[in-house]
Amino acid sequence: MLVLTRKLHQSIVIGDQIEVVVLEVRGEQVRLGIKAPKDVTVHRKEIYEQIQEENKSASEARLEDIPGG
Amino acid sequence: MILSNTRFGEIEYSADDIISFSDGLIGFPSNTDFLLINPKPNTPFRWLQSIDEPSLAFLVAFTEAIVPAYAPEVDDRIASELELDEETPQMLLTTVTIPAGNPQEMTTNLLGPIIINGATMKAKQVILTDDLYTVRHRVFATTERVTEKVAA
Repeated sequence: MLVLTRKLHQSIVIGDQIEVVVLEVRGEQVRLGIKAPKDVTVHRKEIYEQIQEENKSASEARLEDIPGG
Repeated sequence: MILSNTRFGEIEYSADDIISFSDGLIGFPSNTDFLLINPKPNTPFRWLQSIDEPSLAFLVAFTEAIVPAYAPEVDDRIASELELDEETPQMLLTTVTIPAGNPQEMTTNLLGPIIINGATMKAKQVILTDDLYTVRHRVFATTERVTEKVAA
């Protein structure tokens, strides 16, 4: 992994079209601004992982537990 | 065409029935082609059955039937990717998790809905940026659960 140290309002550029700016640093929280083309999706990793986990549990559901019918 | 060896036995389908996720579902990028099958008539629950991998099926529901207030906003990028306009028939599904033997604790993932273009059958699982919704939304309200438990 490439590790870079940045200060407030400094940024990094990924490829030609993606820029990540440090907007605010407050204690343990860092606010980042991301400029990217519309076709690049940007998500918080934990949300992505949670959805992945829910998909997995939906694939483990049992037919007999489905109410109704 | 016939899909064999699924949890539901053999499934007969035609090319028009194939729902195609160009990116797969989140965490399952290599499974792109699915069928929507109906495990229990007269319920909003369906299985999203993988064609590529017959042992894989996701429990989903037509969300409007289980969470009537749900109204996710589809951004322009997704609308254009799925070729949706105001006239296009759409299906909105969310995955459903049921702890084994405990349907009262059912949750549905309102943060990662599945949107299907009903005309082209192109589909996508979207990650909403809306903080209103959670990945584990309880389908049955607490009071209903309590009532049910008392009744049982």
